[in-house]
Order: sequence, then C-alpha cells, then structure tokens
Amino acid sequence: MSTIAPAISVHDLVKSYGTVVAVDGLSFDVAPGTIFGLLGRNGAGKTTTLETCIGLTKPTSGTVRIAGLDPTRRSDFDKLRRVIGVQLQATSLPEKARAGEILDLYAVYYSVSPRTQELAARVGLEDKLDRFVGKMSGGEQQRLALAIALLHDPAIVFLDEPTAGMDALGRRILCAEVERLKAEGKTLVLTTHYIEEAERLCDEICIVQAGKIVARDSPTKLVERYGGDACIDFLARGFSPDSALEAFGAWTRIGERWSVRVHGEAGRALAAIVTHATEIGVDIDDLDLQRPNLETAFLAITGELLDEERASAA
Amino acid sequence: MNALRMLAAQIRVNFVWYFWRDSEMVFWSLAIPVFFLLVFSFALGGGSTMRTSTFLVPGIIGAQVLSSGFWGVGAMLATFREKRVLRRVYLTPLPSWVFFAALVIYRMSLLALQATILAIVGGLVFHVHVTGNPFSIAFILVLGAATFVALGTVIGAVVRSTESANNIASVLTVPLSFLSDAYIPIDRFPHAISGLLRLLPSTQFIDAFRGIAMYGEPVTHYVGWILLLCGWTIVGTSVSARYFRWV
Repeated sequence: MSTIAPAISVHDLVKSYGTVVAVDGLSFDVAPGTIFGLLGRNGAGKTTTLETCIGLTKPTSGTVRIAGLDPTRRSDFDKLRRVIGVQLQATSLPEKARAGEILDLYAVYYSVSPRTQELAARVGLEDKLDRFVGKMSGGEQQRLALAIALLHDPAIVFLDEPTAGMDALGRRILCAEVERLKAEGKTLVLTTHYIEEAERLCDEICIVQAGKIVARDSPTKLVERYGGDACIDFLARGFSPDSALEAFGAWTRIGERWSVRVHGEAGRALAAIVTHATEIGVDIDDLDLQRPNLETAFLAITGELLDEERASAA
Repeated sequence: MNALRMLAAQIRVNFVWYFWRDSEMVFWSLAIPVFFLLVFSFALGGGSTMRTSTFLVPGIIGAQVLSSGFWGVGAMLATFREKRVLRRVYLTPLPSWVFFAALVIYRMSLLALQATILAIVGGLVFHVHVTGNPFSIAFILVLGAATFVALGTVIGAVVRSTESANNIASVLTVPLSFLSDAYIPIDRFPHAISGLLRLLPSTQFIDAFRGIAMYGEPVTHYVGWILLLCGWTIVGTSVSARYFRWV
C-alpha cells in the first residue's frame, strides 16, 4: 500500500432513500494523481456516491474524506469547495446568460483572476463566448460546465458522466483535458457508463452494481483477470495445427475457417500460427484477432451489457 | 471586500439574466401595473379619478411587494433548486448570504423602479401627489418588502417543485391583493370581515404604506403594525433558515 495519504477515502458508505438502497456499503481509496472511474449502469449508485463525496448528499452511514476533509461538516465543506472542481450531470446554468459571463462570474465566486479566454479555448468554446446558454447544445453546455470545474485550478476534480450528450469532438476535447489534468498531477474521479471512456482514461476502475463494488483494478488487470481468452480467427486452405500450436488453446474449425481461443498471450500464438503456415506452405487470409477488452470483462463480472446506448454516439 | 465584489456581480447578473433579457418579465413588472392603474382608475373612479388613483397607486405598489416576495423570491428559489442552479452555486465558495442578498436587492430595486413609474404616471395622468416624507416611505417599503420576501422564502424553503411553488405563490398573491386593501377598499366588505382582513400582514403593510406615502401620516402612527411586520419578518426568516435546502 502507498504511504501517501489518499486524496479520497470512502469507507462503508451507505445511502438509502426510504426503502431504496442506492449505495450499499462502498469503500475505496483514491491515491493522489490517480484517475479513478466509477463504472456501471444507470442507477448503479455512481452519481449518489459522487454526490456524497462533494457534499451534495448526506450519507445514511459511513465516512467520506476528501483531502482529509469531511463533506458533512460545515467548516470542512467551506474549505472543500476551494479544493474540488465539479462538473455535474445536467447542471443547468441560466438560459439567458452568455457563456463568457458565466466564466467571468464564477471567477468572482472563487476570487481568482478570470481566465475566460484561456478556459474557453481549452474546452473548444473560444468562439461561443457570446452565445446564450439556452442556445448552446447539450455537449457545449457540458464543456462549459467542465471549464467552470477547472476555473480555480482545483487539486481534485469530479466529473459526473462528463461525455453524456457530447458529440465526437466533445469527447476528444474531454479526453485531452483529462490527460492534461493527469499530467498536472490532479486527482480525478469520474463516473461513466461508457466502457471505452473508462478503459481509455482511467488508471483505476471500480465496477459498481446495485450500490456495491463488484470489481476494482486497473483496466488492464480487469481485462486480464475477467476478460476471457483472446480469439484468433483465419481462413487457410489445407491448414492444420501441429501439437505445438494445439497447446496454445482450444481450436475449432468450420470448413476452411479456423479459430483458436488462446489461453494467455495472443501475440506469441499468432506468430507461431503464421510461422507454421509458412513452413507447410499454406496461405492465411482474412485474419482476425479479437483481444479481450473491458467490455467482455464487464460482462463477465456483472452479467450485464452496458453499451446499448452507445451506438448512436459513435 | 471580496464579498462585496461578489454581491455586486451577483446583483448585476440577476438584473441582466432575469430581467433585462426577459421581455416577458419587463412587460409584466413594468407595463401591467401601469395598465392596472389606468384601467381601474377610470373604471372605478367615476367622477373622481384623482381620489381613486391616490388609493390605487400605493395599493398596486403594495400588491407588487407581495408578488415580489412570493413569486420573485419564493417561487424563484424553488425554480432555481429544481433546475439545479442552486446546487451548482452551492459548490462554489460564494457565501449563501451574498446569493440571497443579491436576489433580494435585485427585487427591491425593481420594486423601487415600479413604484417610481406608478407615482409618475399617477401624477401626470391623475394629479396624484405623493406627500409623505421620502425616508418614511422608503422605510415602510423596505420593511414591507422584507416581510414578504421572508414569507416568500418559506415557500422556496419548504416546497420542492417549481410547479407547486408557482401555485402557492399565485394562491397567495392574487386573493391577498384583493383582500388587503390594495385594489378594493376593505370598507366595502361587511364590518366583521373587514375587521378580520385587517389582521393580515398584507393589509397592515398596504394601509401603513398608503397612510405614510399619500396622506403624509407619520411612521409613529403605525407602530403596532410595524412591530407586527417585523415579527412576521423574523418568523419567516427563521423558518426559511431552518428548512432551506440547496439540493
């Protein structure tokens, strides 16, 4: 374990609304400088967990410490507001406000010198500063919300479903910004139900299901552990695996199409297949390598699929 | 110093975002009261539009004070909460008092503007004279605004949805305007009823305001009612402070 004090420490967090338990005993620590993702379906308890961390929701039981501060204590919360930057899901900013005015106003709230132009450029809104919030697209409003979150250069940034409603450009801008914040050593917590986003951005992922953490690790480790086997698939007339190739995994054949589910590293298996085919003078066509990914890992862990909403956004 | 900068910035955006750029708001808060004054003065005035108008100018201003408190602050806060404007602000270091003070100051300035326009139109069209001491007028107007802002904030504190807040605000504002000596002299009601209506803070405020502004009566004449209005202000503020939620 790291000896550095965690930036965020959540212990046995429970939040229930009447008989509905939204968060059911969550515990996790986030080391400083980490990009930490809460991944799960809508309603899994990610947003409630995040709102408890930032002091918007009081936990039913359990403790939360952000940079050592307790969001439920008034005096701590006052300090906390300067330490954290938050991009909320569906924040509504006043419709008749211009984007630039909002950035100027929040600079006054935080008593920092306005960086309106610079921040607008960072989130790709430099030519939209005169636009009314009500006339901006959902994705542009989200980018404006991101700019507000970064205005006072906070050490810990919370992003709740940051790419919801964003187009491809918005997603690219967000990813670039997250990578930049990581390079600056910030701690980031983000919730998402987009696998790709979690896999690409996060150092560490907690998979949340029904208010509980069901798996927690780096994306690579999660895939390694739960993602299952890689699959190599190719067309080769007159091919047959020798005993060395058979040892790589389970082979199946449909007509001239061969496929092997590889236990372990797929690269070596691939090289061996190509070498063997060359030796026996067989041509390989239509070769396909499917690596296990976070999606297959997520499915294996939760028994659920995540990405049905994704198709339209791609 | 910072807090004052924040206050100034917040008042400014309240004006620009919620008034200046909202043509409906400009129309309802500036044109409609004048329209009421003209129509009611001619319709009810008979031979003496000046006397009727002298009654109506403070009455309409008084009704605007009620609506400022119940709609302008109370229902507005519920709307801000439901539209998640409040939680965004809550997460910044902006002190809560600055947020509330800015909203109240914005509404009071708007009231002052409305009152001035009504007094000018009343003077030009119906020869209405505002004879009261300007400081006394300002005092009773600010006290009334404080009372109804405090009571309005209770709506904003207790009611969850914008829709119910708007309903409650209209259920309070509209009947109270007609029952509190604003548009219709309550002497026209049976004696027993008018006696009860005089117990309403809205009646007490509007009568005191009318007496001080139009008939030049001294503030001391209304000490009892002024104390009661202060009491309502304290009750409203304490209840709101106890139950107000940002989220």
